[in-house]
Order: sequence, then structure tokens, then C-alpha cells
Amino acid sequence: MTALLELDSVTKQFGGLLAVSSVSFSIGEREIISMIGPNGAGKTTAFNCVTGLFPLTRGDIRLDGHSLGGLPPHRILRLGIARTFQNIRLFSYMTAVDNVMVGAHWWMKARVWDGALTTPRSRREEHAVEQRALELLDLLGLANYAGNYARELPYGLQRRLEIARALATRPRLLLLDEPAAGLNPQEKNELMALIARLRGEGLTVFLIEHDMRVVMGISDRIVVLDHGEKIAEGSPAEVRENPRVVEAYLGSGASQEMRSA
Amino acid sequence: MNRLLRAFFRPTQKITATGVYTILVIAAAAMVLLGWFLPWFVGPFSEGVGFSPQDAISTAPTGIGTILLYVTGVCMLIVLLSPFVEFTLRARHRALDVRWDMVRAAASVVGLVLTVVVWILVRWINEEPLFGALPNGITTDSAVWLEMYGFGLAAITYGLKRLVLERPNVMFVVGVLPFGVLLPLMFHQAPAFVLWATQSLAIYMLLGLGLNVVVGFAGLLDLGYAAFFAIGGYACASLASPIHGVHISLWMLIFIGAAIAATFGAILGAPTLRLRGDYLAIVTLGFGEIIPDLATNNVFGLTGGPNGISGIDKPVVGSVNFGFNPQWFYWSLLFFSVVVVIMLLNMQRARIGRAWVALREDEVAAAATGINTTTTKLLAFAIGASVSGLAGAFYGAIVSIVSPDDFQFAVSIAVLSIIVLGGIGNISGVILGAFVLTFVIFWALPNLQEWSATLGHTFNVPAISGIDFTRYTFILYGAALIIMMLFRPAGLLPSRARKVELESGIESESLAAVQGRA
Repeated sequence: MTALLELDSVTKQFGGLLAVSSVSFSIGEREIISMIGPNGAGKTTAFNCVTGLFPLTRGDIRLDGHSLGGLPPHRILRLGIARTFQNIRLFSYMTAVDNVMVGAHWWMKARVWDGALTTPRSRREEHAVEQRALELLDLLGLANYAGNYARELPYGLQRRLEIARALATRPRLLLLDEPAAGLNPQEKNELMALIARLRGEGLTVFLIEHDMRVVMGISDRIVVLDHGEKIAEGSPAEVRENPRVVEAYLGSGASQEMRSA
Repeated sequence: MNRLLRAFFRPTQKITATGVYTILVIAAAAMVLLGWFLPWFVGPFSEGVGFSPQDAISTAPTGIGTILLYVTGVCMLIVLLSPFVEFTLRARHRALDVRWDMVRAAASVVGLVLTVVVWILVRWINEEPLFGALPNGITTDSAVWLEMYGFGLAAITYGLKRLVLERPNVMFVVGVLPFGVLLPLMFHQAPAFVLWATQSLAIYMLLGLGLNVVVGFAGLLDLGYAAFFAIGGYACASLASPIHGVHISLWMLIFIGAAIAATFGAILGAPTLRLRGDYLAIVTLGFGEIIPDLATNNVFGLTGGPNGISGIDKPVVGSVNFGFNPQWFYWSLLFFSVVVVIMLLNMQRARIGRAWVALREDEVAAAATGINTTTTKLLAFAIGASVSGLAGAFYGAIVSIVSPDDFQFAVSIAVLSIIVLGGIGNISGVILGAFVLTFVIFWALPNLQEWSATLGHTFNVPAISGIDFTRYTFILYGAALIIMMLFRPAGLLPSRARKVELESGIESESLAAVQGRA
């Protein structure tokens, strides 16, 4: 399997705090890979490093073998890595459809002057992108909310709207930061079905998740972080049995939960 | 009778009135009232008044004149009272029956027609020409214009109420644009007023529109906007005056001025890219102070020092020299304002407009969604500044002299007040803000003295005529702003987003702060 994304001893230090310490692993094309670990383990920091929000202290991140080091977030997105945020970061006072259309911003061709003069080119493109955005909203079950402000949507729908916005950027790799947080069991099932479907359409999905049912249910591989270090990596079954994960890190109570999941 | 009343005042009807409707209704009533009272306001001191209801009684054949006047009076009362009735009812969660709209629209149309009829009758009886050319100090027909406009606005608002509620922005333009176009005609016998309108209203409106791109759309608080106005003004002044011996036509200069201001917008914007909120405001404040100071110090011998650049060319089109016909300045400014408004409205709805709003809402998410925050911010600065460059070119041509004093901090604050007052981020709001601020603050407040004196003389109350309003101008200005912020913090015509946003009060952090660069 060719590696799509490679983390090569990625290290991120905030002053005296080593948030991510020499973490290395790789993600293959069309894989679903989860990252788990207790709060403060450095999972979201790792995401922020991949998407260019945090510059790396040491190490390198490669997409298709090309280093992403030093690239600004929008350039990394344009290379095909889209993400959602743990604490939902939608454009609160834009409508749902506009939120998704922002995702199409980078590949739209209309220049500022096209927009100012509403040239046929701009009008055609706006129309096409709006249709595409509505399709994406429909895919995520948000069709009835297209005209609502993102802020007005219920929590679960805001999570989905973030995914729709990420998908509008035409990603190859989708980074989901706790997509199941705050969802009810029914919504979690829908989320798992959606992730499986996205993979079916050729997308690679990399997610941070606490919900073991979701993680164990859809992941091909799981990476476990603790105190910024990678302590385990492997298939769900391997990770579930890994003594280091179970005893030293998840605790005995959690191992019970994992078995029952 | 009771049943009839109940039929008209239906208690459970859904309340759908919007800000634009409210404003048009109040504006119509205000115009009608102002037209009625204008004779008294300007009476003893300025040029006298020709048309007034009193005149109609004294000059027209008593029979016809009186009857027409009574009918007009009833129409006027309906237009004047209906906002009060409607808003009182709305406060009690009731609404007027739709049938009233027809009654009010009909009354407005009748009022409009009768005003025109009476006006023509008076003119015909006095054997005066219809437009202008009246001897100074005898008549002005400002009152008629105001009256006609008020009735016309009322007719549109009530007659097309559904359209006003459904397409508020379009109807706002339909309502306001004729007023803008007719302004010099309405006051064609008060050249000082026309000049005031030329200088303040249109210039400030353009400045407000430009600043709105930076502050309203992209959410970058700019307290030094006058700097770009200065750059545009000075650039065009030095290219159309004896100071360097260069004389370029104004119609070329507006583009040159806009381009130069846009360039400086991007240059001055660059150092502020990592800043947001208070910090950005302070840096831009600094720029706003530096630019006039550079001009005062005659930097590179370009700016003429504290005296500025004088003798700026007046544009000439065919046989019209704008220097002698200042209303043409106003009309050309109005034309360019309309062009700018259309282009900004288009941009707001297009790709770049979405990027600006995304940047305003959440810079980190915008960057993570593929928006180049650097170029998007610089574009906001450049486009915002280019509009002020256009305004600066006109400003120099209108007043013939630009000096550092014209671009002080107070100008930045006045422009900011316009967009805050009107409604940040909403183009209709900015236009309204420019109207309100220039009319109320720059015209009504300075004239309060004269008006109160007139009122005191008319009703023989020396206490009223004795108040020295010139001392209280800034107190009144400040009080008006405070009252605004307390009762309509999102502005007179808030953008939908801004309205909700102010109620929640959430600040977003900058990308640079998240990345640890600022």
C-alpha cells in the first residue's frame, strides 16, 4: 500500500511542554485510520501540525512524498487535506449553503472583477457551485437548512455541516476531529455509514475519536497517543489486546468497555 | 362604528414589518411635515417662501384653493398619523388591516396630485415660470418638492408594501435614489445648500461605502481610513493643479486616484496582517495620524506643506464648467456612487464577498478551508481604499484646495460613525447612515440656532430663541450616538448577520494568534 500521508518523527513543543513527541506513522490511500488517546494526549495538536496551523518544532510531514513543512494552511488544503474542528468552527453568521460554498473558494475561477461586474463567467460558476453545495447538503441530510445561519443549526447538524464544507474543498484526505462527539446513537450510525461511503468514493479518512464503538467499528488501523507519544499502532483487534494500551493507558475499566464494544 | 373599527384593527395578524419599511414610512411623514413647516423655518431669516398652504389660501381663488387645501390637509394627516398608529399597534403586537394600506396609498397619491395642482395654480395665478428663475428673496419651492417627494414616497411604500417587505433593499433604492437625484432641484434656490450636499453627502457616502468593505465585510477595524482619502486627494490634487504644472482631466484622475489609494491600501495593510481587533485599530490609527503629518511636513516637496495644494482644476464637460454649476459635481458623484454600490453589492454576493465574511467570522477556519487570508485581507484594504481615492479626487476638485487639516482623525471617526449608525456590513445601511449623519449632524445641528430663534420669535417665547445651540453641538452629537448604541446597537438598517451577532457577542481569534506568531 502506498503511503498518502507520512508523519516522520513529528514533534511540537510549546515552551516547556512537549505536546507531540517524535510521532511517526503513515496513512495509506483509501484507508480509515483513527487516533485515540486520553485528553491532552496531543491528538488535536497533531492534526493542527498536519494542516499547517502549527509549525513543527522538529520532524516532517509528507503528502505523496512531498514535504508540507512551512506551507500555510490554505496551501496544504489545496494539496488535498481538509479537516473539521473539535470545537466546531463554522462561519456562524453565514448560511449553511454559503458555508459550503466557501469550501469551493479555492478552486473557483472567477476573479474579483468578474464578481464586481457579475460577468457571465462568474454567474455560471456561482450557479454551478451553489448546485454542488446543495448536493453536498443533501448528501449530509441538511437540505432543509440551506438558508439557515450555521449558528441556528442544532449541534449534530453543525458537525455535519463542517464535514460538508470540508468535502466541498475536493479533498483526498479528510481529517475529522471527534466527529461523533455529542451525537446520539442514531446519528453515530449515520456518521459511520457516511465515513464508509466516503471511503468508497476514494477518500482517505483520518479521525480523532473517543467513542470506541465508532472507532472499533470503522477503523482499518488505530494509532494510540499518550502524553504526546505514540504508544501503539495496529488493527482494532491488536490495539484492543495491546497490554500497554489496556493497562498502562486506558485503564482496566476501559478495557472492559473495549471488549464489550 | 365599533364593528367597523374592529374590522380594520385585526388583533392577531402576523407582524412582518422590516427596518426598511419603518424607515421609508417615517421618512415620508418627515418630508411631508418638513415641507409643511419649511415656510416657518426659513421665513424671517433666509430667502422667503413662495409656495405654502398659507399662500394657496391667499392667492388662489378662495373657493378652489380652500377645498383643495382641505383635501390635501386630510391626506397629509393620514400620512403623518399612520406611522404613529401603526407603531403603537405594533408595540401591542397588533397590526393594521391590509385595507388600510390601500386607503393610505390612495391618500398619498391624492396628496401628491393635489400638491402639484396647487403648485401649478399658484404659479399660474402669479404668472411665474414653473422651474427656477425666481427673483431671490421672494420664493423658493423647496417646500413643494419636499411635499411631493414625501407623498410620492408614502404612495410607493404603502401601495407596494408587499414588495417593500419582500425586497427591502431594492425598494430602499427605489425610494431613496429619486431623492438623491432631485436634491439639487429641491433646493435650487439655495446654492449654499447644494454645495453642502455636494461636499458632504456624496463624499461621505463614498467614504462610508469604502470603509464598509474593510470594517463591515472583512471585519478589520480601521480607525485611520482618512489616510487613504488623503492619499487619493493629494495624488489627484498634485496632478491637476499649478503646483507641479500637471493638468490631467478629473475623469482620468478618479481612476488614477483610486489606483494609487488601492496601492497604498495594500502597502499599509501589509504590516497589519497578523493583527486583529484592538491591535489592528491602534496601528491603523497610527497610519491615520502619520499621513496628514507627512503632508504637513511637505514630504519630498510634493504636498505643499501646511497650506496644502490650492488652485485645483475644475472639470469642464462641453459647455458646463463644474466650478459654476456645483450641482453637476453632485450628480457625477451620485453616478459614481451608484456604480460603486452596484459593484460592491455584486462583490458581496460573489466569491470574494464570501471569503471576506468567512475571514470576519473565523480566520482560522477560513484558512483551513482554503482561503488565502493574506491576499483576501489585502484585497479588502485595497478595494476599500480605492473607493476613498475616488472620493479624494472629487473632493479636491470640488473645494479647489486640499490641506492636511481636511484629513484629520475626526474624518475617520465621522466615516466610522456613518457605517456604525447605518448598520455595519449592510450597504443600504451605509447609504442611510450617510444621509442621516450629513443631514442631522452637519446640517440640522448647526442650523438649530436659527430654527429655535425663528420658533421663539413666532410664538413669542424669548427663552427658546435665547438658547445658544452652537455651544451644545458636540454634546447633541455625542448624545445622539449614545442613544443610537443603546436602542439600535446594530445600526438603523442592520445586516441580518450583524443583528444576531451583537446579541451573542462572540469574538473570534486571529490565525496568527493560533499559530503563535502574534
